[in-house]
Amino acid sequence: MNSSPAMLALVTDAFGGRGGIAQYNRDFLGALADAEIMSSITVLPRQAPDPPVLPRTIVQMPPRSRRITYSLAALRAALFRRVDLVFCGHLFMAPLAVLIARLKGAKLIVQTHGIEAWGRPSRFQRAALEAADLVLSVSRHTRAAVLSWASIAPERVLVLPNTVRDVFTPGDGSTERAALGLEGKRVLLGVGRMDSRERYKGQDRVIAAIPDLVAKGLDVHYVVIGEGDDRARLERLARASGVSERVHFLGVVGLSELVDLYRMADLFVMPSTGEGFGVAFLEAMTCGTPVLGLDVAGARDALCDGELGQMVDEKEFRSALARMIANFGPDPEILAGAVRERFGRDRFANAVRSAILRPLEA
Amino acid sequence: MCGINGIFAYHSAASVPKVAELIATREAMRVRGPDGFGEWWSADRRCGFGHRRLSIIDLSERASQPMASEDGRFVVVFNGEIYNSPQLRLELEADGARFRTTSDTEVLLHLFARHGADMVHRLRGMFAFAIWDGRRRALFLARDPYGIKPLYTANDGWTFRFASQVKALLAGGQVSRDPEPAGVVGFHVFGSVPEPFTLYREVRSLPAGHTQWVETDGPREPRPFSNLAEVLAKGADHPAPSAEIDERVRASVLDSVRAHLLADVEVGIFLSAGVDSGALLGAMRDAGLDKIRAITLAFEEFRNTSEDEAPLAARVCQHYRAHHIVRRLDEREFAQDLPAILEAMDQPSIDGVNVWFVSKAAKEAGLKVAISGLGGDELLGGYPSFIDLPRWHRRFGPLAAIPGIGLLARKLIGAVAPEFSRRVPKALGLMEYSGTWAGTYLLRRGLFLPHELPHVMGREMAHEGLRRLKPLRGIANNLTPDPCSDSSRVCAIESTQYLRNQLLRDADWAGMAHSLEIRVPLVDSTLLTALAPTIAALTPGVGKAALAKAPTEPVPSEIVTRAKSGFGVPTGAWMNDVLGKGSEPREFISESKGLVSRRWSRAVLNGAVPTSTQLELRAS
Repeated sequence: MNSSPAMLALVTDAFGGRGGIAQYNRDFLGALADAEIMSSITVLPRQAPDPPVLPRTIVQMPPRSRRITYSLAALRAALFRRVDLVFCGHLFMAPLAVLIARLKGAKLIVQTHGIEAWGRPSRFQRAALEAADLVLSVSRHTRAAVLSWASIAPERVLVLPNTVRDVFTPGDGSTERAALGLEGKRVLLGVGRMDSRERYKGQDRVIAAIPDLVAKGLDVHYVVIGEGDDRARLERLARASGVSERVHFLGVVGLSELVDLYRMADLFVMPSTGEGFGVAFLEAMTCGTPVLGLDVAGARDALCDGELGQMVDEKEFRSALARMIANFGPDPEILAGAVRERFGRDRFANAVRSAILRPLEA
Repeated sequence: MCGINGIFAYHSAASVPKVAELIATREAMRVRGPDGFGEWWSADRRCGFGHRRLSIIDLSERASQPMASEDGRFVVVFNGEIYNSPQLRLELEADGARFRTTSDTEVLLHLFARHGADMVHRLRGMFAFAIWDGRRRALFLARDPYGIKPLYTANDGWTFRFASQVKALLAGGQVSRDPEPAGVVGFHVFGSVPEPFTLYREVRSLPAGHTQWVETDGPREPRPFSNLAEVLAKGADHPAPSAEIDERVRASVLDSVRAHLLADVEVGIFLSAGVDSGALLGAMRDAGLDKIRAITLAFEEFRNTSEDEAPLAARVCQHYRAHHIVRRLDEREFAQDLPAILEAMDQPSIDGVNVWFVSKAAKEAGLKVAISGLGGDELLGGYPSFIDLPRWHRRFGPLAAIPGIGLLARKLIGAVAPEFSRRVPKALGLMEYSGTWAGTYLLRRGLFLPHELPHVMGREMAHEGLRRLKPLRGIANNLTPDPCSDSSRVCAIESTQYLRNQLLRDADWAGMAHSLEIRVPLVDSTLLTALAPTIAALTPGVGKAALAKAPTEPVPSEIVTRAKSGFGVPTGAWMNDVLGKGSEPREFISESKGLVSRRWSRAVLNGAVPTSTQLELRAS
């Protein structure tokens, strides 16, 4: 290539977006901008509910939520720009992305996250992914799922895991603990969306386990962060289990409060069955808090197969929870350091850089 | 000849590999290398190698593996033999290399240090090896042009693993056993699992004649360094004058045999009553080998019949003054060994039984190395396919080119003559597949044709497997560039399909199960390059006649004459007997060999002698 390549990024959301995928896209595009490989990065999101804060070299177009207007905007953006590389942030958009890549003679990178790539996709999505020069998956599980339905060279499918922001560090959580009136208690923390259609995060598993823990003489409280239409059901479950005074639904919290909550907790617990990766595990551990999850799907990656976080089968979940909450975790600084060693920003930036160079070299 | 394995946690998120896993994989290959074992780890413990050794060249401890370069930058594990290592060593020494051993393994280290990945072009032999470059923090893998030595890899996205055997990789406990539909379909189509696929999605074969780099950002796609079709096509550009053919065959075969005798232990030979092994024995004599022990597998059932190869093999031995060992096999021993055969089979194969028993005999005789005539039929037009493929392609190809006629003919024959379709199922595919060389090959050699697969394994598995395998494209790729003559085309297809995926693989697992290294002088890229200009002229009969004349004392004429009609083996009937046990009706006694093979393939895939409930063969 004569000069630095130009990228068009088709994403569900990135800057000004909420949730895990938006964060991943921001991390990815931000790292790419910092690497100074691209002459330009143009981002077209479906949504951007919050005011976007953009890195200097990234241009984000206004969001287009409807599929047809989004597609037209993407085609228009491609026609009037140089595009050497198309980044497709979601499998659903891969057919559009491959069309644009073909029109422009550009390379195509498709990003796969979690459940959207676990089942067999439509024929068009599959064909589009198979045409990609590079596929990125957040975890080994998602990568294996992609390779189960796609006929593509395994070397073209790389794992680029989530990274964890620098703001998550070990520290004193006692103020937060006092504010919640939880001094002297054993505190469990859960962070995640409460979506009645998905229900895989496992808050209900934790709530159902609390009576047992109390019966064992543990003064346990469970702090639940996040919002969603499943919250009412979980609240009912807490009441029905007779532990509603021990379960604290705090809703959505700001970043600095989130960090304090992670620091305050004795154990971060997310017995989820549907994690593409489970970045909250990393956030908790870099705040020095031990974590417990299930030996299922992408969570294995965030838990490093049990080397950093505790990872158990579903049937062993309750006994593991009882064991962990009764004990103290590892040294917070050592735990945080070990997580950054594997998933820190520098690691992520290096991985983004070498991944992006692969299709450009070929 | 050894077993090699390794683990490289290339991804920064990956945990340091466990020693126990490395050892478990290595020890699953114990029979490949009973003479010694070794283990090596990089300083950061993120890359480890294991090695099981069968000592053949430089039997000393110094030559044990994994072997590091003097400065410690490069470390190698190697399975195979580099037959031109003495010449390479001289070149390297002239260039300042200092050797600590006389092994060919050390030659690889010095070559890699000087030439990097390009080193593979200088190697003559059978090889599968991995080299760790500590400075680059990268792993380099390579496999010989024909694929004589196996090398399997598994990449889970964080950690890369390799081993000489699929079962060894699985024994480590960290590799997924999720099935690969392309491998299952490929086995049913070809009778062996075609590379790069295996029965498991995560496990791949590094394709023959390819190298692969694995760096800290992950494995790169394997890259070819050798292409048999290209060698043949280049040869066809400069055809040899017919007067030179015999001399070319003589000189190049003798050269190859001479190279293949490099060893610090005794080298024996598998001797049948055919031309290939007879000529190789003669060439071994010409190469100056004094005492030669030749092993012949003979069947008890054929004793004192015209099908018995032993007397003719004895005649060859007498002719070349070799010591003859005849090993008689009967049905009882076949049935007795069958569980062990299926256990040793690394990946399912419908063949390999004969090579198992002849290797067993060689081991009983105390041999560690044996020469085999494998590859002669592919190189010198020995198979009926050299006649059938061109004939079928020419006769039916033009008709098959008419769109839709294949499907129509299949439906029509199926409706009009259902009994005929059942007995000769491939006839239904004649119009469908004979339009291309690849299709014609599938028709001639295929165990099941693609349209039959949904009945054997279910529609979804068949469809998905075919989509991933793309069998016709795979064959066609191995015929690119076009080798330009009928003989060369069939040579290229047979060498890259049947020889590569079946015969050589069978020779590896069956030989290794008896800690025996099988050497194949007729499967040699130097030989192929030398003979490529003659292949077009080596039509069926001509090639073998030239080979028979290759030794100073030619192969006895009665061998050449008798070999043309071939010898039977009773193993088909034995398989039938084994398959027939249980409540299965014995109606298939009159079935063709092809149909027995189909039934056998199901038995092999089931991994054991099947009961009637396991044998769900609906296609026949």
